Amino acid sequence: MAELHIDLSGKSAEELIVEKHVANLHAGFAHWPRQDDGPPALGDARWPAELILATWLMAEDGRPPGTGLNYKTGASGGGFDKLDFNFLPEADWLPDMLEPDLSIKLNKRGDGRREIEIPIPIYGGGMSYGSVSEQVMRARATAAKNSGTFTSTGEGGYPASLVPLKDHIITQVATGMFGVREETIKYAPIVEFKYAQGAKPGLGGHLLGDKATSTVAAIRESVPWVSLFSPFPFHSVYSVEDHRKHVDWIRTVNTAALVSVKVSTPTDVDMVAVGSYFAGAHIVHLDGSYGGTGAAPEIAKKNIAMPIEFAIPKVHRYLEGEEVRDEVTVMASGGVRTAYDIAKAIALGADGCVLGTAELIAIGCTRCSNCERGRGCPFGLTTTDPLLSQLMPTEWGAERITNLYAAYAFQLKDILRKLGLKSIRELRGRRDLLRYTD
Amino acid sequence: MDHHATTEEHAKSGVYHRYHIHTVEAPDRERWPSRFNVHVRKAGLAKLLIKEVFHYGPQNKDVILSRPCVYGVFGGPVGGFAPREEKCVGCLRCTTEFPDFVRIEHNPARRALGDSYFAFGYVDAISYEAASGLIPVKGAGYRGGFGGEGWDGMWTDMSEIVRPTRDGIHGREFISTVVDIGYTPNFLEFDERGRSAGSPPRTFSIPLPMLFDAPPASVRDAALPRALASAATELGNLAFLPVAALAGLGEEKLAVAPLVAPGDDLAAIDYQPRLIAMDGWDAKLHQELSDKFPHALIALRTAFDDPDLLAYFTAGVRVFHLTANYHGRGEQGDFVLDLIRAAHKRFVDEGIRQEVTLLGSGGIIAAEHVPKAIICGLDAVVLDTPLLVALQANFNDECLDRSTSEFQLPRLDAAWGAQRLQNLMASWRDQLLEILGAMGLREVRRLRGEMGRAMFMKTLEADAFAGIEGYHG
Ligand code: SF4
Ligand code: SF4
Repeated sequence: MAELHIDLSGKSAEELIVEKHVANLHAGFAHWPRQDDGPPALGDARWPAELILATWLMAEDGRPPGTGLNYKTGASGGGFDKLDFNFLPEADWLPDMLEPDLSIKLNKRGDGRREIEIPIPIYGGGMSYGSVSEQVMRARATAAKNSGTFTSTGEGGYPASLVPLKDHIITQVATGMFGVREETIKYAPIVEFKYAQGAKPGLGGHLLGDKATSTVAAIRESVPWVSLFSPFPFHSVYSVEDHRKHVDWIRTVNTAALVSVKVSTPTDVDMVAVGSYFAGAHIVHLDGSYGGTGAAPEIAKKNIAMPIEFAIPKVHRYLEGEEVRDEVTVMASGGVRTAYDIAKAIALGADGCVLGTAELIAIGCTRCSNCERGRGCPFGLTTTDPLLSQLMPTEWGAERITNLYAAYAFQLKDILRKLGLKSIRELRGRRDLLRYTD
Repeated sequence: MDHHATTEEHAKSGVYHRYHIHTVEAPDRERWPSRFNVHVRKAGLAKLLIKEVFHYGPQNKDVILSRPCVYGVFGGPVGGFAPREEKCVGCLRCTTEFPDFVRIEHNPARRALGDSYFAFGYVDAISYEAASGLIPVKGAGYRGGFGGEGWDGMWTDMSEIVRPTRDGIHGREFISTVVDIGYTPNFLEFDERGRSAGSPPRTFSIPLPMLFDAPPASVRDAALPRALASAATELGNLAFLPVAALAGLGEEKLAVAPLVAPGDDLAAIDYQPRLIAMDGWDAKLHQELSDKFPHALIALRTAFDDPDLLAYFTAGVRVFHLTANYHGRGEQGDFVLDLIRAAHKRFVDEGIRQEVTLLGSGGIIAAEHVPKAIICGLDAVVLDTPLLVALQANFNDECLDRSTSEFQLPRLDAAWGAQRLQNLMASWRDQLLEILGAMGLREVRRLRGEMGRAMFMKTLEADAFAGIEGYHG
């Protein structure tokens, strides 16, 4: 229990209530990872309790935990959890003082558009205003700024409070076009077309009525308290040529922005990727099933489209075969939970990864799946409830996510040193450095 | 409950009606164990209260009484001293805030529901679906293991763009879930004068690819056949029921496909059913049924791995109800997914798949299993244990088949039961539409045997990981 040193002077009951719970929660996030056992009902196969607790620790101090908590793998029994690295013998590791380069280029086309490089091979995935609170959006964007990378608006508009952070924000254009305006396209260093998402491949986004508050509705230009279902797919896109028209539309509105195309992982994901490239995409963002943060039918999360671990090598090889692999950046998401997952995804053929759930866990998510119930997340994350959303103070959240990124960067450098690689770019597609554990 | 026109009534009216399943909330009748156990150490709570009273002062009563649970677990008259466990959704906020004296645990009694195959996660899902008629929607991604054996080692496809076969999710109300049951010829035949020759098609359609299986012998509640038949009447599908169960039924027996065994009193079938099933092959009975019920299709209920399937075809059977046990295993132990594929392939290889209808049951216990079973080759599924779970049946130990399983049902009210079954079907049909919509398919008939729209873990893993040290397929 947090010590009670809350100053009462001149505060309203609401302020005191928020302060009290915030203090207790922060104390709890620090307490549990330091115990022999976590809360008994915490965790699941993909994110076991240890991994959640390790993520809380990393978010606290920006380093991998030195407590023996497993911060590398989950217990899903497959995919990333079955892969490990073939590290070199210790004598061959690169020296500690050598800092491997983690930067990746997001524009490899050399087409005169912005030459964007990010210093770590990660950025934040789309989480819309409405599906998460404005505080969460600001925290993510601030962390992106602190880390020199990006976060994405998701499909829910662009709250005014994000405008000062626009150089680190990807504007998402999705099928419902919620919040898509000329100025939000113009703000963006990168515009992301969301064709599909891993949490509900082949289905449109959902925002249940309870979360469509008047502020959310105003930004989305919709009716308050009415559920919003984005259509699926883009109804104007029947072919790669139609997709090309879409890309051209954005390129006309914003003549400098890079274009990312976010797709899910169907059987022909390789052809989808190559089609996106030929339509002009700088980034192909593959979002595998099993991931996602938003509300989604359980049947979709588990059963539609393939896991990201299988999609990455398929796409990588196909792009290589088409001799365009070095002209497009492949970002992977959908169940990427740790620095080790990031490195494995890159070894399988991605350039970098897009994170979502890991960020939410850093700021207090317990993965209880109640995001859509009642007033939304009881920890103030996936909610638009005015009181609950104050439970995640923006500055605190920004610091936690920044720390998590720092911890990941620390581990990625360590992995590269142990593999004898000087740059993360050298790891791409190096399946020979992986081993399958059974 | 209000009267809503049944599918049959709509069809007779001659006016187009979009198929719709009427759902009404039908809460649990029996209180099942809560999902979580909530332990609050009373001394710790009392200490907290005293500390907060001192700190905030009595004028800040709202602050003192503000508790972490937003779901009302501590909202009773004495708050955390008597938590309302049934409301707990396991968010863990309380134990995060008060690790010293609040502890949340999964309730082992809840986890013991079902049996080793019908794991509690499936029971949970069905209990929600039958109560609400809704699709389970949750946040925070998938929580289960990676792929797996059987159904879990299979994923369905999706389409990123508009396909000519789809009209987007907004058109999903117009995705058809109608399936045909019966016989259609492979091709048309004409005589020398150009007149149609050969056997004409004999089919009828049902609006969803799900039928109800006859309940196990251990469930004797007379309200159960009524619930099954009434739900089938509303839904427009069929319920298989033993001949002996017909006696207690009125009009709703029109939605019943009698399940007939040699020696049954055929006089009890005092109406013209659309479908009659023989429980095991019996040439004499087949002939008798064909003679006595010339307008009915005669189906054969037999095991998936019955070696004589093609011989039955030669003997005139065109509708097969193939069965695995309740755990989805065939007589040789093969899993139902493989059994379906094998049976489908046997008919494909003979060039007669189009002429038969394959219904299948056993081990199909979740909404996701329906499209997967159809992709593997069934025309429609026949549901067994999920129907009982929807009616809050408790399993006595392992429940393996119709003859030996012991289920305990709460005292059944047929109207409540029928509504629970309708709700379940509404939810499962909507989930089927999600899968079809994602693939860009406009009708479930096109899904049958569409193996190209399925992805299997074994194949994908071999493609992705071949060559990685230690991977041996
Ligand atoms: S409701 Fe639960 S799963 Fe959803 S964001 Fe909050 S803590 Fe995470
Ligand atoms: S775990 Fe969540 S729902 Fe359960 S009692 Fe605690 S706060 Fe309430």
